[in-house]
Amino acid sequence: MKHACRHATRLASDSIDRKLSLWERLRFHLHLAMCGNCRNCDHTLRLIRRTTELMRETRYGQIKLTDSQRERLHAAINSNNQS
Amino acid sequence: MNSDPHQWINEHGDYLYRYAISRLHNEEQAADLLQETLLAAWKGHSSFTGQSSIRTWLVGILKHKIIDHIRKEIRNRNLAESVENDPTSAYFKSNGSWSDTPQAWKENPEELCRNEQFKSVLDTCLGKLPEKQKAVFRLRDILGEETDVVCKSCDITPTHLHVLLHRARLGLRKCLELHWFGQGEKR
Repeated sequence: MKHACRHATRLASDSIDRKLSLWERLRFHLHLAMCGNCRNCDHTLRLIRRTTELMRETRYGQIKLTDSQRERLHAAINSNNQS
Repeated sequence: MNSDPHQWINEHGDYLYRYAISRLHNEEQAADLLQETLLAAWKGHSSFTGQSSIRTWLVGILKHKIIDHIRKEIRNRNLAESVENDPTSAYFKSNGSWSDTPQAWKENPEELCRNEQFKSVLDTCLGKLPEKQKAVFRLRDILGEETDVVCKSCDITPTHLHVLLHRARLGLRKCLELHWFGQGEKR
């Protein structure tokens, strides 16, 4: 079980991006069952991932173009029109 | 189809702006990329097949602009990051067990995602990561891109991507624990 915790955090990160193999899952969950530090780390990695996901959906829900930004866009189209 | 770009601004401008800013966290860059998107869309609108809605089509163009933008940032900084120099070494002893013990975080994503202070701490922590880690984290976790898109954008293999994301996420975890979650208790 050398490098066990370090490797477990790698699997925790990888599990966000790819499907772990059966062997990896087994090893990972066995390790988590025994290791509170890695459980905490796994939890926080997923918490960060979920938070950034929710940020995409909700954070900027109310934001709008300002009038000057909007004017700039119309002007950019117009000046491109003439060229 | 409706090919008046002024109407695109009126009908979809706010939506596209929100899309850009939620991924770039920067008003100026978001507005610039939106402008580039509208101009590109207008030039290429004859290629619009009408199979998707105009909004979907415009979002597709904007998305490519955002990925391109991050890609250029990576190139401009000419990133060399040695594989030998693994920053996660700092968190583990030589036998691979923790040298610094991660705490249990009690806050929940539903509240965190609305917390402006947290967002600014996250941005600061993200800013401290080495460039390449920052780039892959932004593409993968801030933009929510699929892994194959991230690999293509950064010219890296899936294995390299997993290494970089592992480093980036552990680095962020550590930084956030120091600057945000510091008071958490152990589970």
